Amino acid sequence: MLAEGLESAVAIGVLWAALALPGWVDVRWWWVALAITAAVAYMVVVPQWRYLVHRWEVTDTAVYTQVGWWSRERRIAPMSRIQTVDYTESGLSRLFGLATVTITTASAAGALSVAGLDRTVARGLADELTHKADAVEGDAT
Amino acid sequence: MSQPGPTDLPTDLPTDLPVDLPVEGPEVPGGDWFRLDPRMLLVHPVREVIRFLPALVIVAVAGSGLSGGVPWQLAGVLVPIAIGLLRYLTTSFRIAEGRLELRTGLVMRRSRSARLERVRTVDISASLIHRLLDLSTVRIGTGTNADDQQLELDGLRSTGALRLRDDLLRVSPVAPDPGGAVPLAGDGPEDAGGTHATPPAYAPDAPPTLVLDPRWARYAPLTSTGVVVLAGILGAGGQLLQSADELLPEPSRVTDGPGLPGLVTALVLVAVALVATAVLAVLGYLATNWGLTLRRSAGSWQLRRGLFTTRDTSIDEERLAGVRLHEPLSLRLVGAARLSAIVTGLAGSQAASAMIVPPAPARVAAGVAGEVLGAPGVADAALEPHGPAATRRRWIRALVPALVLAAVPVVLVLALDLTAWLLLVTVALPVLAGVLAADRARTLGHAHVGHHVVARSGSVVRRRDSLGDEHVIGVNLRATWFQRRVGLSTLRATTAGGPQAVTVPDVPTDRAVALALAVLPDVVGQFVDASPAEPLRR
Repeated sequence: MLAEGLESAVAIGVLWAALALPGWVDVRWWWVALAITAAVAYMVVVPQWRYLVHRWEVTDTAVYTQVGWWSRERRIAPMSRIQTVDYTESGLSRLFGLATVTITTASAAGALSVAGLDRTVARGLADELTHKADAVEGDAT
Repeated sequence: MSQPGPTDLPTDLPTDLPVDLPVEGPEVPGGDWFRLDPRMLLVHPVREVIRFLPALVIVAVAGSGLSGGVPWQLAGVLVPIAIGLLRYLTTSFRIAEGRLELRTGLVMRRSRSARLERVRTVDISASLIHRLLDLSTVRIGTGTNADDQQLELDGLRSTGALRLRDDLLRVSPVAPDPGGAVPLAGDGPEDAGGTHATPPAYAPDAPPTLVLDPRWARYAPLTSTGVVVLAGILGAGGQLLQSADELLPEPSRVTDGPGLPGLVTALVLVAVALVATAVLAVLGYLATNWGLTLRRSAGSWQLRRGLFTTRDTSIDEERLAGVRLHEPLSLRLVGAARLSAIVTGLAGSQAASAMIVPPAPARVAAGVAGEVLGAPGVADAALEPHGPAATRRRWIRALVPALVLAAVPVVLVLALDLTAWLLLVTVALPVLAGVLAADRARTLGHAHVGHHVVARSGSVVRRRDSLGDEHVIGVNLRATWFQRRVGLSTLRATTAGGPQAVTVPDVPTDRAVALALAVLPDVVGQFVDASPAEPLRR
């Protein structure tokens, strides 16, 4: 969630630096104000929205995730088709003790991702999925 | 360069294959390394000479000027031959322990191996040089998308290549007849035929599913290849015209708009380009697809084609997940279509070998689709339209950008006082967009017939995908805010081959969930709540 804030702050900074510093464009104060307002609104609204949308569920035979905000995507992968289970902690999420679990299938269009989980929950999820996927027969294609 | 002997065998290979596989039979000297066919000694030097031709010319020219000319010229011939010889000596392969292993390289030794049961496609091709010497190149696809992981045996006797193909494809699914002998592809001329324990899986007398009719080549200019060639010719022609204009001294050549001579020249050039494109496309079509036959034998589909370079592709039936019928606008207008197979583990650059029907009459392509899918009624199943909301969405998505663009000429004419002819664009764009939207809306459709998901979409690039239920490895349901507002979703049934997913765009969400339920009842069923508006749990 913090990532979005950082992103927009950096974006505004870069934009401002690119436009104003070389003196190419006469930057009006209200441009900056508008950009900052938009960014703040984005920072306040989008993470909340995402948080409301994001869901994940694991059963004995399948994994189900729902992600997104404006565009919402729900993905279901049968346990028997899971090929890899990735556990990642990015630099920023490590500050908050968070982690992401990514589940891939043999299709490039079928990866499921559960982002921003508590580290212990994510570890548990990754282990659970690995065991369950391992217990199913077949070569997952 | 000594041949690697049996002592080089790695001993830690996994032996998790059934022991009665053909390659493991008792009469089989399992684990012997074979070289490629010695006739490759002729092919390699010829190829190397062709590759070194520029260098050879330089050597020959420069060498004749020098005092010691003859040794130089000799070196120019000997070096390629030596390279060819070394390549022959350093390349070897074997089938052992359920693996096909290939060793290549002189300076940098490479060893590649593939599990036999992972073999998905076997591709046999033969260039002109190969065909003169009765040789074939065997490419073995194992489902990795990386091209350098493909195993290539360049230079086996053609009969040996066919037997290797048959044996590999017999192993990869559950072996129905584990009595076959090992493919002794490279050793001696007399090993083919009579001593083979089982009849070859390739039965030439089986009636082919499809035989090419050369008259289909008339569709070739309408394919994207034809268009690309045309664009190339037009571009070159345009440049030619331009440089001709610059070279000619008359200053009055093009002053305001093309004069009559310029116009005539341009028209003639365009006509010539069109004819040249058509001829090139037809010739290309015939060269690639000459003698194309598609037949099914022993658990795989075999496609053979080619006039100069022959190509013989086999697709393991177990891996044939579905088909995609391509009906681009140009082909559709003349009632033609193409067909390609969706093969598990075959994607990206390898997907070319999944083409099974080149541009041909639509009913031929559909007929082959039905045969290949092996489920009656799938190829010609009536599709369920997606309803008024999806139709509206098609119209909005086509018209809004068109209207925005149509406004540009109006502004230009009013503000900059340009010629009023620009307003033609304003009229034409929305009309074109409307035609496109109507066709796109009409095209949309899906069905679930005979354990296959069928989906059709697109207009300029229209395709109809059919995918077997057991090859669906996941379900994605996506909806933007606009789509949710009108109760639509885009369903993607993911698969491990070809396009990676079959997309059903803008289908009412309840029907999308119903379709997903029909495909994967147990998996999807546990996430479904009985809510009519939003059946899938959220």
